[in-house]
Amino acid sequence: MINIFYNEWRCFLRNKLFIFFTSFFIILLIVVTYFAIIQNNKQIQSQNEAHNHIRSQWDEIDSTNAHSAAHFGTYAFKSNTILNSLDEGINSVTGVVLRLEGHKQNDVAFSEISQSLEISKFGKLKPSLLFQFIIPLFLIFLSFNSYTSEIASGRLKLLIIQGDSLLKIVFAKIVTILSLSFLLLFLSIFIQYTFNFSSLSFDEILRLVIFFFAYIIYYFIIITLTILLSILFKKSISSLSTMIIVWLLWTVFLPKTIGNFTESISPLPTRFELKSDMKEDRSKGIDGHNPSDERRYQLEKETLEKYNVDSLSQLPINFSGILLQADEEYGNKVWDKHFGNVYSILKEQKRNYQLSGLINPFASIQSLSTGSCGTDLIHHLDFLSKAEIYRRYFVKKLNNEYTFVSTKGENAYLSDNVFFKSINDFNYSTPNFSSVLYYYLYDIIFLFSWILFLIFFVILKSRKLII
Amino acid sequence: MIELKNIYKSFNSNIVLNNLSIKVNSGEIYGLLGANGAGKSTTLNMLLGFLDQDSGTINMIDNKGSTVTSKDGVGYIPENVNLYPYLTGVENLDYFSKIAGLKFTTDQLCNFLLECGLKELDFNKPMSEYSKGMKQKVGIAIAYAKNAKIYLLDEPASGLDPLSSNDLSLLLKKMSKKGATILMASHDIFRVRETCDKIGILKQGTLVKEMFSKDVSSLELESLYLEYMKN
Repeated sequence: MINIFYNEWRCFLRNKLFIFFTSFFIILLIVVTYFAIIQNNKQIQSQNEAHNHIRSQWDEIDSTNAHSAAHFGTYAFKSNTILNSLDEGINSVTGVVLRLEGHKQNDVAFSEISQSLEISKFGKLKPSLLFQFIIPLFLIFLSFNSYTSEIASGRLKLLIIQGDSLLKIVFAKIVTILSLSFLLLFLSIFIQYTFNFSSLSFDEILRLVIFFFAYIIYYFIIITLTILLSILFKKSISSLSTMIIVWLLWTVFLPKTIGNFTESISPLPTRFELKSDMKEDRSKGIDGHNPSDERRYQLEKETLEKYNVDSLSQLPINFSGILLQADEEYGNKVWDKHFGNVYSILKEQKRNYQLSGLINPFASIQSLSTGSCGTDLIHHLDFLSKAEIYRRYFVKKLNNEYTFVSTKGENAYLSDNVFFKSINDFNYSTPNFSSVLYYYLYDIIFLFSWILFLIFFVILKSRKLII
Repeated sequence: MIELKNIYKSFNSNIVLNNLSIKVNSGEIYGLLGANGAGKSTTLNMLLGFLDQDSGTINMIDNKGSTVTSKDGVGYIPENVNLYPYLTGVENLDYFSKIAGLKFTTDQLCNFLLECGLKELDFNKPMSEYSKGMKQKVGIAIAYAKNAKIYLLDEPASGLDPLSSNDLSLLLKKMSKKGATILMASHDIFRVRETCDKIGILKQGTLVKEMFSKDVSSLELESLYLEYMKN
């Protein structure tokens, strides 16, 4: 097998067309990876600057009323990871900045302005675009006649007469072309590693390894299927045209069709439905700004009993703050109910889409690629959850200040800068991959199933093949 | 020795070989003459192990009485030798020899090519620059270097000029004298008559005539062949 592998590479390296295209891909990959890293680092820097700016604004806030500060709010930044430069996933669409304030939960904002360009509909030129769409095509073009050319030239017979087995020949060809994809992937990872050597954490290295092997498996599937088709059809043109159709199905038609299907079986409420349902549920709760609300009196009664006083003026605390926090907590329950449902549906949609990996390994590689880079829905929901937890901490801290420090409830009471500085900042960190690995088990299982399935068929066809 | 006994083979109810029996003794060269579609290539493919017969038996045995398999003891020369175009003649020979588990020095490889009639000047040219005859000579060298017990040749002289064709005859005779068993399928009546010890005429899968080449002249063989083909 090593002889065939060596010979295949020797022939590749003497083929000018191969040298041209491979050089083109190598240069393209270096350029794309380099610029993606530069762009990503700039984004990280801009985000850090914005984050620091927002925090310094907060830290330098003049003495003000705590409740006004809750309305003033702050921002949660979903900082780009280093691996965002490989596959930015849904980050550029969903946005990366969330405004946090009292009374309400906001949507994520500030997606990249470049997304508004028409050209962005084709996807940005990131390494993942090359890895998922362009390199597989290159591999298909390298694989489709690697076996049939041996039959057509009569070399296959000669190789078998000389003592090689058909299976060995087929696998040597698969491994040869796979080694090229290995080289292209490794190059990109190596550049990534070199430029970010000092800032890569263990988890990011683990993610890079998973990213690398996921693509190697995907390329093995592409190459083996192409060669298997050429074994079945025995004609280069038939295997090429069939594989191109398969590639289109995998990358264009199936993702759209299955995406629509998963949305139809697990539909999300419309924004209007969600807002009106939340409004309705919220109206059953306590409105902190509406003292005429009957439920207010229940809370007032309980508070008076708790402090063993007869009137609000005798309370050692600010009752308005109690009301605000109660309203906040009720709002949180409403939010948890509705957005918890939305998150469940989103996760269900993702899981159902992942199940399509059984017939479409592209779905699995997409999921693993964005997952390992920390730029998929699972990581986005993690950010939203952590940001919401922080928002609750943030608002509660302000409400407590309003309740227990401005004890007489005077709106004119101003908390000083020392207090505002004491509120912790929100610093999002991507979860360790091991903690979210179970979300990608389907992808891993399906990719390995594809490998086993293809190896089984290659062995079967190689045994029964009539040359 | 090669022995085919009562071989039947059909493809989709189309009988390709009909009760074919051929015996080629060790050290003998057998020429199988026949028109296109007579069953020559099917016979070779069965001997090579690429096809199974519907019925009948095939035996390939070396001088010591051991069974020879297509992989370890058979040399094969196809009609069209299309080796790797980006490799030189020497590199192609080296590669195919390595596949057979044989490792030769460059000098040894060059000697094989020389013996098979390739000019020294052409050894290190890429095969894409070779003529059909030159490619054929490298193909012959691959089979020759294997030092097989049995050689199966499918139109081996195809594309060779008369001189090279004569060299091939001499080479095959040299190999048979060393004890190799050679079965050669061809259209070339003259070359078969010159090279082979025994000749069989195959028509629509049936061996219609078998003779020793010493018993017929080339002209007699030609008229006999034409007679069988016309009837």
